[in-house]
Amino acid sequence: MVQSYARPDVLVETAWVAEHLSDPTVRIVESDEDVLLYEQGHIPGAVKIDWFTDLQHPERRDFLSRSDFERLMSERGISNDTTVVFYGDKHNWYAAYSFWLFRYFGHDDKRLKIMNGGRKKWIDEQRPLTKDVPSYPKTTYHAQAPDLRLRAFRDEVLASLYRKDCVLIDVRLPQEYSGELIHMPEYPQEGAQRGGHIPGALNIPWSQAVHPQDSTFKSPQDLKELYESYGITPDKDIIVYCRIGERSAHTWFVLTYLLGYPAVKNYDGSWTEWGNLVNVPIKKGAEP
Amino acid sequence: MDRQAQLEFLLDHYENPRNRGKLDHPDVHMSWGNPGCGDVITLYLKIDAEGRITAISFEGEGCTISQASASILTEELKGKTLSDAEAMDPSDLMELLGRDVVMTRPRCAMLALDTLKLALHEYRRICQKNRAEL
Repeated sequence: MVQSYARPDVLVETAWVAEHLSDPTVRIVESDEDVLLYEQGHIPGAVKIDWFTDLQHPERRDFLSRSDFERLMSERGISNDTTVVFYGDKHNWYAAYSFWLFRYFGHDDKRLKIMNGGRKKWIDEQRPLTKDVPSYPKTTYHAQAPDLRLRAFRDEVLASLYRKDCVLIDVRLPQEYSGELIHMPEYPQEGAQRGGHIPGALNIPWSQAVHPQDSTFKSPQDLKELYESYGITPDKDIIVYCRIGERSAHTWFVLTYLLGYPAVKNYDGSWTEWGNLVNVPIKKGAEP
Repeated sequence: MDRQAQLEFLLDHYENPRNRGKLDHPDVHMSWGNPGCGDVITLYLKIDAEGRITAISFEGEGCTISQASASILTEELKGKTLSDAEAMDPSDLMELLGRDVVMTRPRCAMLALDTLKLALHEYRRICQKNRAEL
């Protein structure tokens, strides 16, 4: 019986956040899938990080540069020794994505946390929201070079198809995995030419890791049983993917920090890259 | 409108939606959704013999932009002709919603318009069928 998460310190409860609203060493960051939620009301003192306008490269398909990340941190009043607490909508889906990207640029993981239950739990508990947008003094922030141990690119994924010690996890809906659903053709920037999944990938939808009622993470034992029932064990190299790498960042967080798996990478190219690649294998249907 | 005004315009439509609810005895209704993010819209339309939209409403669930867009679209279309509605293209709606604010969420922003196009197509089909049966 597993009693504790591998890194219990990466989760804080809503009550903890409520007690640290004015703590100058803590910066609360809202990252949502619904990009206009912050404007409707947010945790007092929280700043917004928009997964698209703040975290993506303006031209290439890539994340913002190291220097732009440093600039973003400065503008949000985050320094290298700030404890950053992420929260957001949809079971903290984009909160986990922001967490992953902060790790990618080397923010100390002893100073990164997710508020368990996210925005929904905070609101359900009738805790305060405000529309006031805070302003913090600019900081000087030093980002690290991108940590490529957290990120998989397509060539590595292709090579992994021939490795027995590497497991791929597709965290999308079963209908996306089978190829029944692909995105509508009028939106090519997010679309894929083909539907299906990467051959051999196991389909474990990301949201199975949370309680649907209150968005909190499932217990350590439940998470262990969930992933081990698919043969996902810590001795393997694991690559997670979804459509553009956001839902899979949530699974990356669960495996890395809640279960303590040492070698998990997020393939952010995900299906929108793989489903457009020429001459790569694709599997359709419910079987890996 | 600057970005802040455009944001407030969208939030107002989300928090105080116009024409929200089910319409009794619509001439056509249509439901449509985004598979990726769970936005759903149902549009109800009444259309008179001259092909003018006399009543329009919507029901739905989903993100701020998808629901605000539906509210704004229904306001825009009331009293318009079917031809006006059919001529409305995504760039018209993008301008109305505020291109800067919604450009990163095109599927959410266009869901109501996609639903409208399907509804109008269905309405034309029903009319043709009725004429054939006469």
